[in-house]
Amino acid sequence: MSKSLLDKVWDAHVVEELPGENALLFIDRVIAHEITTPQGAIDIQERFGDKLYDPDRIIAMNDHVSPAKDQETAIQAQVLRTWAKRHGIKLYDIGDNGICHVMVPERGYVEPGLTMACGDSHTCTLGAFGALALGIGTTLQAGAMLAQCLILQKPKVMRIDIEGKLGHGATAKDVILYVISKISFKGGTGYVLEYHGPVVDAMSMDERMTLCNMAIEAGATSGMCEPDETTIGYLRGREAQPTGEAFEKKIAYWRSLKADPGASYDKVVKIDVSGLRPMVTWGTNPGEVVPADGTVPADANATSLEYMGLQPGTSLRSLELDQAFIGSCTNSRLSDLRIAADVLRGRKVTIPTIVTPGSQAVKRAAEREGLHDVFQDAGALWTHSSCGPCLGMSMGVVAPGLRCVSSTNRNFPGRMGNGGRVHLASPAVVAASAVLGRIGSPEDLEAAAPREKVTA
Amino acid sequence: MAARVKTVVKVKGQTLCVERANIDTDQIIPARFLTGISKTGLGQYLFLGMPGGPEMLAAHPDANVIVARENFGCGSSREHAVWALTDRGFKAVIAPSFGRIFEENAYANGLIPIALDGEGLEAALKSRTIEIDVEGQKLTTEDGKTYGFELDPLRKRFILEGGFMEWMATKIDAVRAWEAARPTV
Repeated sequence: MSKSLLDKVWDAHVVEELPGENALLFIDRVIAHEITTPQGAIDIQERFGDKLYDPDRIIAMNDHVSPAKDQETAIQAQVLRTWAKRHGIKLYDIGDNGICHVMVPERGYVEPGLTMACGDSHTCTLGAFGALALGIGTTLQAGAMLAQCLILQKPKVMRIDIEGKLGHGATAKDVILYVISKISFKGGTGYVLEYHGPVVDAMSMDERMTLCNMAIEAGATSGMCEPDETTIGYLRGREAQPTGEAFEKKIAYWRSLKADPGASYDKVVKIDVSGLRPMVTWGTNPGEVVPADGTVPADANATSLEYMGLQPGTSLRSLELDQAFIGSCTNSRLSDLRIAADVLRGRKVTIPTIVTPGSQAVKRAAEREGLHDVFQDAGALWTHSSCGPCLGMSMGVVAPGLRCVSSTNRNFPGRMGNGGRVHLASPAVVAASAVLGRIGSPEDLEAAAPREKVTA
Repeated sequence: MAARVKTVVKVKGQTLCVERANIDTDQIIPARFLTGISKTGLGQYLFLGMPGGPEMLAAHPDANVIVARENFGCGSSREHAVWALTDRGFKAVIAPSFGRIFEENAYANGLIPIALDGEGLEAALKSRTIEIDVEGQKLTTEDGKTYGFELDPLRKRFILEGGFMEWMATKIDAVRAWEAARPTV
């Protein structure tokens, strides 16, 4: 029988069929961070003799607020630290850490065909590698550390074929915002989104991660891309990957995971991105999105309008901004920072702007290229890696009523701070908007304010 | 730390009806309140991220069943959203659909996720009280009408009997045997 990519990964991990079309699904790796792991780890310690199925299958990191911002987050980090040490779990901590969805790929812990789970909804990012990567809650994560399994109904598969030639300035972020607008904010619920097509094939791993990262913003169980030479090239030589023959042997298996021709799908969607322009959200979910030069729709949801302080027909380019943020598991990798730096080079931001790399390794790589100088010369704050203000936790929380353009993934009410208004966009649009002080694309910026003399 | 879920068979509910879709977990409990290491005591933060949320809760101090529009609990995986609801005394959430992770978290904590749409949902949204028969998978709205609902048969037992983690523990040997027999890649 012809199989989809999901079929192949799923079938290789079913331990037992369970009532209600559920399966006991083996999880190859569990990722544990300080916000959602401690409660489950403590439960296992108190009620199950502190026994983990296999500590070698867990990777831990202090990532959300690291270094800690206060007493409480310091305790979270310390609980994770002592727990990891007690069990011999590999821990990434202050100085060599980063956002888990950035670090796990960067160190080579994800690979095609694996099942991965983490108490974090953006775990779907890892599906870019052809893994089945699942965001779960604390109790299910504890179950997966106790018995290395999840109870799961096999998700339906939505094949999304992305075709066409992107318009000038459009990026993977614009593609996924457009996809969500097409299938809707909840249209992916119950599905894994399997991305196919020439646009995906041509994407780098960083771009595929952006694409998969926001699968959850369509409600999807996860997103997945087929493994190919780009995937293999990315993983070769990474910290957790073997070298030599052992790596070559893996490659043969990875290549076998491509979806079979004639595989059946529960739904097939074709998305034509020809001429797609940079996209910006106007509302309070990522599906409420229009082109950066567009206007708030006439049929806009009233609750969203009220929260965002907008009227139907308002031009996004007319909106004055109070803050800009480049970071998060969606867009904080080296390629994102390069794009933002290209826009900011030789220019000055006019609103408070924060640039937060996705990991300390990304930070160092960016600094080796001098990107930190570009950002700081432009007047932006260059920070250590963190989830930061994306979820309104630290390092740039947005004040009530203020408007922030952000390269992150959620524009929910209060997401980046109580009462704060978030407009999601690509790093390029965030950078251009930071200079303009209004929402705009790099093209708008070029028209409005030609660059000062650029020094090489 | 309390972890064993209390048995819930029948719920005599007072409702908190929220005429909104897409109530995400950031609205249910904002991330700034996720800095603890305990599953308890989170009720004080419930709906602090929802515009008008605190006022809504204050107006319904005895509510123990939430009725809302589609896609309740979408977004972040934070189980704190479920813990905040149960800590505040909520036993069930009725909505046409749920965010997948929220729904799984609800089952694991004995909070009943009841998917209901159409006439049943509209009736529930108008009801000040609701009776829920978990075992029989039906609920009765204030007007006396009864509506059936689906529950996942496996996860239902975690609501009725608790013990999700205990159940997982019973599988460890089988998982080890499966892993030992697994073809190496």
